Amino acid sequence: MAIESADVVVTGIGMVTSLGATATATCEAWRTGCVARRATLEELAGTSLERAEAAALPELDAAERLGGRRMIKYMSEAAALGCVAAHEACEDARVRERFRPERVGLFAGVGLAAASVNDLLPMIRESVDEDGRFSCRLFGQRSLPATNPLLSFKILANMPPCIVSMIEGIKGPNFIFSPWEGQTAAALLEAWRAVATGEVDCALAGATDNAAHPVTVVYLKQMGLLADGEYPSAGAAYVVMESAATARRDAPRVYARIAAMDVRPSDGTTHNPLAVRMGRSFAAAPAILLALACGLLHAPDGLQSRLPVRLCGADGREFRAEVKRVSDGSDRSDQSDESDRSDIEGAA
Amino acid sequence: MKRVAITGFGVVSPIGVGRTAFWDALAAGQSGIGVITRFDCSTFDVRLAGEVKEPLDLPEKVARVAADDPKVGFAYAACVAALAEAGIKRLGAGSLLHLGVSLEIFNLEKVVRTGKPDFKAMCERCLSGEEGPLQIPLDTAASLVCDSFGRPDRALTNCSACAAGAQAIGHGFRNIRAGLCETAVCGGFDSMINPLGVGGFQLLGALTTDNARGPTACRPFDAARNGTVLGEGAAVFVLEPLEKAVAEGKEILGEVCGYGSTLDAYSLTAPDPDGDGAARSMTAALEDAGIGPDAVAHINAHGTGTRLNDEIEAAAIRRVFAGVWERIPVSATKSVTGHMIAAAGAVEVGACLLALVRGAMPPNPSLEKVGQGCELNHVTGEAAPFDGEYALTNSFGFGGQNATLILRKYNGRHG
Repeated sequence: MAIESADVVVTGIGMVTSLGATATATCEAWRTGCVARRATLEELAGTSLERAEAAALPELDAAERLGGRRMIKYMSEAAALGCVAAHEACEDARVRERFRPERVGLFAGVGLAAASVNDLLPMIRESVDEDGRFSCRLFGQRSLPATNPLLSFKILANMPPCIVSMIEGIKGPNFIFSPWEGQTAAALLEAWRAVATGEVDCALAGATDNAAHPVTVVYLKQMGLLADGEYPSAGAAYVVMESAATARRDAPRVYARIAAMDVRPSDGTTHNPLAVRMGRSFAAAPAILLALACGLLHAPDGLQSRLPVRLCGADGREFRAEVKRVSDGSDRSDQSDESDRSDIEGAA
Repeated sequence: MKRVAITGFGVVSPIGVGRTAFWDALAAGQSGIGVITRFDCSTFDVRLAGEVKEPLDLPEKVARVAADDPKVGFAYAACVAALAEAGIKRLGAGSLLHLGVSLEIFNLEKVVRTGKPDFKAMCERCLSGEEGPLQIPLDTAASLVCDSFGRPDRALTNCSACAAGAQAIGHGFRNIRAGLCETAVCGGFDSMINPLGVGGFQLLGALTTDNARGPTACRPFDAARNGTVLGEGAAVFVLEPLEKAVAEGKEILGEVCGYGSTLDAYSLTAPDPDGDGAARSMTAALEDAGIGPDAVAHINAHGTGTRLNDEIEAAAIRRVFAGVWERIPVSATKSVTGHMIAAAGAVEVGACLLALVRGAMPPNPSLEKVGQGCELNHVTGEAAPFDGEYALTNSFGFGGQNATLILRKYNGRHG
């Protein structure tokens, strides 16, 4: 489904990626040609994946970035990354000050459940019977009473975006999709549609994925979803979308106009322009790609006036968007010729 | 904007598979809640659930996945039934598949199959092919449906907890109404009836431990309610533009005409005591349908049987329907199905649809004495006759996601 709109702009971006713990750091690292640092996963030592690498995230103090929120203790790692990225985007666009909470929508993607076996092992240990088998009887008798009830908040799939809504005070229409790139692309498209049709005044859209979690890495390898040479990465990104009219009124800045967006079945081949330098972050990837494109267009010395983005994911869906630079309230990309047309890889 | 017809409905529930069995049990107030048989729950505080007991006729490929993750089989069976009723054999260009579900299943047995809970050994078994997939992603059901029926333009998997099924239908409705697709196959499916699912909800204190009550343990709006009971199942609908469906001679079961979706943005561990998000969800759906509160003739409440949620929902209904709520009969069908989590909203759309079609509203048979603050025009005892035009159903999710849908009785006029 393709939507074309002349009126939806991005006024806030937030990212936590293997290239940087903020949007600014990620964009700068991309522009200067940096590549993610990789490391093996301690939990997979002694297995046939002991040499498999995943992207290492930069240092991140989520509690500090979120203003010392107590809610941190309820968060999975994916939730914490998502909350930090969403908070950065909302602060960037001053969402809370500029919009009524009921008129702000939240459209998000989340990855595979990644707070699973490692979190559960301690409780499972108590549930092994004399024959070495899992016993439901022992699970009920010994494991459950010793388990922290807060565990549920870490494993429910909708929690990462729901916690975002609580921190940012977002009360409007919402969707949460899972677990691959195409689902996040659908969330971005829904956000764009909601702003374009006036259903919301502002949409926070993005995704988080902890694809570098050991359990997820095993699954990705098991299912052949990581090709030779590819490596997984955790990551999160959110963008704030609103109409050009409200942006002109009082937005601190406009990163770009989203000129076109589309999600459609792909031919089955994967294409991820972030994969080589950032690793594959699956559900987070379309959001990172869109936020990155917006950040690169907005850079003072950026060369491009428009950036087409394209990503084909593990779920056989192709995400396409085109973002255009908006300068001094006028959309000068409309006057630019095709010669300055580039892509995200060329923006380094 | 186009009117949106429901042309297919498939349901798998603890009270019956297929809409005739489902409705007969619902109207009779026959509960599907009983002692859990799927695993040994003898040492759990919670020992009741609404299980799907009827075997499903599934292709081998689907049955293999369903053996590990029963909800996938429920979703597939409901999709097959809905598509068959709508006379649709293939999904392709112009179609949308949108299914709601809550959480990946965690197969605890798999982790300890070597005699000890050993993550590394489990990894090796998975990587060597000795074990099946380590995880069963939430989009597995949608993928299996696509394998059988073709690839729609969009196949979405919504994980908005208890609001997921209703959101999926709301999204399908909006897409048909706006002309963005010609066919929407949408609904919800779920099962949390496994050791970790039941155990997790038990730890949160959301489930009743009143095991002795058996079939009537889930008591929405009752003074003695003390927690919900988990259920499982699926409901899937086929939505099409009304004019197209009429032109093709399809039976119109009813119409979807309004949808609202909000967030509480309140607290992770407690519902908003003002019920603001719930009220805004209902108001948004009414505005979307272009009707006033007085047009609604029946409500199927979210009604979980938990102390806070029921009281907050009742207050929100009284606020939105101020001046008319005493005239609007309210059903709470979780009393007989249990809380089917992501499937609940879709199954309850099915209950509303059949209330419109059959001219009766299902009772809440476990309601004996209305709890303080839960005052509504409850349907108790037996099914009540119904001749209204609009029915509304609420779904309020863990995490603060709310969705409301409004259905309209099809009157044979499509001009």
